[in-house]
Amino acid sequence: MDDFLKQFINPYYLQVLMLLGIYLIAALGLHLITGVTGQLSFGHAAFLSVGAYGAALLNIHLDLPFLLCLLAGGLLAALAGVFVGFPSMRLSGDYLGIATLGFCEIIRVVFMNLEITGGARGLAGIPRETNLLTVYILVILTIVTIYRLQNSRFGRALVAIREDEIAAECMGIRSIWYKVGAFAIGSFCAGVAGGLYAHMLQYLNPADFGFVRSFELLCFIVLGGLGSISGAILGTTILTLAPEMLRFSAEYRMMMYGTLMVAMMIFRPRGLLGGVDLRRLIRSSFRSRDRDTTTPAGG
Amino acid sequence: MYRKTKLTAVAVIVTLLFLFGIITGCGGGNTGVQEDTIKIGFLGAKTGGHAAYGIPTLNGMKLAVEDINAAGGLLGQQVVIIEDDHRSQSSEGATVTQKLITQGVVAIVGDPTTGITKIAAEIAQGAGVVLVSAGAVGEGVVEIGDYIYRDTLLDKLAAPVVTKYLKEELGWEKVALVTSTNNDYSVGLSELFRTSLDEYGMEIVAEQSIQDGDQNFSAQVTALSKKEFDGIIFTGYYTEGGLFMKEVRAQGLDQVMVGGDGLLASVLWELGEDAVEGSMVYTGFAADPEGATGKTLEFINKYQEKYGELPDMFAAQGYDAVMLIADAIKAAESADPAKFKETLRQTTNWEGVSGTITFGPDREPIKSPVYLLEVKDGGWAIKAVLPVEI
Repeated sequence: MDDFLKQFINPYYLQVLMLLGIYLIAALGLHLITGVTGQLSFGHAAFLSVGAYGAALLNIHLDLPFLLCLLAGGLLAALAGVFVGFPSMRLSGDYLGIATLGFCEIIRVVFMNLEITGGARGLAGIPRETNLLTVYILVILTIVTIYRLQNSRFGRALVAIREDEIAAECMGIRSIWYKVGAFAIGSFCAGVAGGLYAHMLQYLNPADFGFVRSFELLCFIVLGGLGSISGAILGTTILTLAPEMLRFSAEYRMMMYGTLMVAMMIFRPRGLLGGVDLRRLIRSSFRSRDRDTTTPAGG
Repeated sequence: MYRKTKLTAVAVIVTLLFLFGIITGCGGGNTGVQEDTIKIGFLGAKTGGHAAYGIPTLNGMKLAVEDINAAGGLLGQQVVIIEDDHRSQSSEGATVTQKLITQGVVAIVGDPTTGITKIAAEIAQGAGVVLVSAGAVGEGVVEIGDYIYRDTLLDKLAAPVVTKYLKEELGWEKVALVTSTNNDYSVGLSELFRTSLDEYGMEIVAEQSIQDGDQNFSAQVTALSKKEFDGIIFTGYYTEGGLFMKEVRAQGLDQVMVGGDGLLASVLWELGEDAVEGSMVYTGFAADPEGATGKTLEFINKYQEKYGELPDMFAAQGYDAVMLIADAIKAAESADPAKFKETLRQTTNWEGVSGTITFGPDREPIKSPVYLLEVKDGGWAIKAVLPVEI
């Protein structure tokens, strides 16, 4: 598959596009947790690493088919999500953020010290299975699933929790179940992304899954606009491609990247697509212009 | 409200333009393959945690390319370095490797760390581009494929040489071995020392475990103080090394410590002060303007002139990596990686600035000599230059 594509796209773009797809899947998972449900999570990289190591180890030691490994990696991450979810759901806001940050560090240190994960030396010898087609089929699948989920009864309950948890409870929503559910689904996405990541790089090192990676993912969705799928996609796309695009500036690259982020936050404080409903925007441009059709979609 | 619609529309247009910019920007980065130059890629970090290894490597490479071009180039063509920065991140390491290959490099020098070298090696092997790592010392690097090489001093060669020196020149018979158990490098090196100590009939009278990050070593040193031994073999890093020796002196012991290049940093005496005086560290390269001769001296002088500092191990190995590739291309009379990887493999007793290199049957480098350094008045002094016998 890759060889076929290499005739049309050069391998460098292929690599960047695959990485983008992988980040998209992970970011959409975080979008559900932080954007839709409003639960601040600094631990997304941990779920990514659980999925990555899970899938890679299953593939190396049990020789399972690739897609099964991805699924298992996702499920392991979801399990980890539930595992963190229950105790930490008593917390909210910044406090939850710190708890998830702690969890992220624990996972990293565990992988750093386990024998089977190769410890600090990292895990090498993972077969290369990820290709562009698999990644983008999964991206589309994730987008559709999250979109459907967000507009379902479950999704509306999540939004209700984000807007006012007490009011939501009064309406009969058991917020803890919904929050843990959101965590599980979000972590599942991260786990699948992790599996793809492992089978693309063919080498894993716990140092790659520190809190910096978590913050990076959080930046993707905040910059794109919290609570909006198109925002998460746009934010991820821009922030993944920007460092590559800015390579011409050599040493100033990361400075320009930072400037870009500051500028975007100044001009669009709620994120690029925060409060913008793309469907309504497109529809409204066809309709008469004097009617107000751009009521912000909250968040 | 009408204004708001307009505003969002503008925002969307701006972002679309930005996206367009990204796409065209990416396109501009691809310069295509030019026929009149031979391109060698630099893979390493210029920013981030590993920049201290990446920058000297690149400096050494640049010096090598200058020397090659001043002597008329390679096969009548000029050599250029294609450089890029991966910010010490694995995922970007893969992207940069792909980018270098897309830009038509025939060989890549890098990465200085074992982890990213493994990622890059898989890609380079798949694309049929030679990769010479000027820093990776971990296991499982050249096993990735026949396009992958490294020019570093391996601990499995250095440990026996150093052990032999300790026994024959310094007359050590009994040693204490200290291992940092949460440091893979330390655990591996202790294992190598155990084997070579056994081989030379030396006895480990005491073994102690520490952890990276420990501050207080009084328990371990107290245990050591009850034994009699000639010296301490310490396989951990410089921070713990400095503090450990301080405790050793505080408890009135007078033995010195020997360790690998994990101890090679000025932090060692900044923390250990007088206590590490006389402690020994082995390494693959040390710049010694007084003792060096020939090629090495010339390299040290040129480097100092150009960058205003003495070259370190990474700089020397970066220089040698480029020269190794250049000589292989010359011998093969072709810049085709599939051809010159064969001549690279036949490299025997090749004289570089960091020593003599031979690629063994397993394509691992056999490198001589080993530099044994000693801490003297808060600085490094070369104690011995030990040849490695094949």
